Amino acid sequence: MRGQTTHLDTDVLAEFHAGLATGRRGARIAAHLAGCDRCRALHDELAGVSALLAAVPAQAMPGRVAQRLDTALAAEVARRNDSERARSDSPRHRGTVGQPARNRGWRLVSLRVLAPAAAVVLAAAGYGLSQLSHGSSTLASPSSGVFGAARQANSASAAALTPGSGAAPRAEPERMGPDSFPFLTSHTNFMPGTLKQQVEAALRAAESARATQAAPTAVIACVRNVAGSGTPLMVESARYQDQAATIIVMRTSKGEVALVAGAGCSASHSKPLATTTVP
Amino acid sequence: MRDAGEQWPSDAELLRRHVAGDVQAFGELFRRHRDRLWAVALRTSCDPEEAADALQDAMVSAFRRAADFRGESAVTTWLYRIVVNAALDRLRRRAARPALSAGDEQAFEALAGSAGDPAHTTDIRLDVDAALRVLPPQQRAALVVVDMLGFSVADAAVILDISPGTVKSRCARARVRLLPHVSHLRGNRSASESVSPAQGGDT
Repeated sequence: MRGQTTHLDTDVLAEFHAGLATGRRGARIAAHLAGCDRCRALHDELAGVSALLAAVPAQAMPGRVAQRLDTALAAEVARRNDSERARSDSPRHRGTVGQPARNRGWRLVSLRVLAPAAAVVLAAAGYGLSQLSHGSSTLASPSSGVFGAARQANSASAAALTPGSGAAPRAEPERMGPDSFPFLTSHTNFMPGTLKQQVEAALRAAESARATQAAPTAVIACVRNVAGSGTPLMVESARYQDQAATIIVMRTSKGEVALVAGAGCSASHSKPLATTTVP
Repeated sequence: MRDAGEQWPSDAELLRRHVAGDVQAFGELFRRHRDRLWAVALRTSCDPEEAADALQDAMVSAFRRAADFRGESAVTTWLYRIVVNAALDRLRRRAARPALSAGDEQAFEALAGSAGDPAHTTDIRLDVDAALRVLPPQQRAALVVVDMLGFSVADAAVILDISPGTVKSRCARARVRLLPHVSHLRGNRSASESVSPAQGGDT
């Protein structure tokens, strides 16, 4: 039965191809294949199955699936922040008793979205899974990203925009409404290489001046889009690389984060031109 | 302002940031691999709706269990393992409605469609997707991970939570079972027509 003239079974060839036939058995099969065109062809066909499967291109995730996952992820983020908030609740937060718990949870989300680790993402393109598909042809919806979806998922709390206490309340954000933040206009031309230093200087100037103007509606819309329901430390209408820009500084657990929003920044569009952190 | 590590953090770094509380990190990690994660879910499930459910289950599970990741494998291996498990779990739960198997050749032919026509790229994908349905889920998962995604047998063993030997035998059996359903895609109709491996790959 094992003579060289007996052709090999497909299962045996498949095991050999998969590396399961070793030692003397493997050597015997290899010897047979060397002298038998028919079995070699069958073996090559089996190998061809692997080659065929490897050559089938993977389909990009459909846009509707990406959006659905965005929403699910945003809900997870909100859920985790709610539980973190519950854990970290301390007496200093009691000044905000009237505030719905979910709103504070969301405010944490909006602040932490701007944490330094996220700076690259923000500067790169946008906020969501849907938008940041690298080269895949999925549907991009400006409001369907992690950020937008989180806001949708929290629409109930977002509708009641009340000030909350941040992770490190230093500038008394409790007294400030979401549309009330230190705002000033300047002729400063922020530049990429010196952004950090310029933001530090602007923050010092804003702190000593303490004279704030009412921000234009367009700026408020932009700030709401960028900052969610969080309250910026400072918003400055200035220039960035000689173009009109809005500098928005938020406090996060890791320091102050400044975002540079271009002239097109609005309630529905906010693609930061640059970000930096000020420790 | 930012160093290279921040511009393109490693998967492990993103997972670490996620565990540390960074709300963007997990999304970035998932986004980075989502097309291949989708591919493994879709091909293991053989059904877009099931695949989307499985992927969502897996994403939520990975999000919550990220702290359990101990770095014994690559982050991708860990992610794929969760996705494959989620897809197989769903298949098990709907086991009352078994996947195509023996006796379903006609249904397969209907799904595969143009069995005798020259295959175009899209057709090949559709045909392969249809052909994969004839496999039992466990064999299919092994073949998807090894042959379609190109993981080593060792990594596949971790992803599938089986021994390397079992990975090999499942792949071997799956290839045998798949052979009659895909040989037409390679342009040769029977085993007696000799075809070299080099020719086999590019039809």
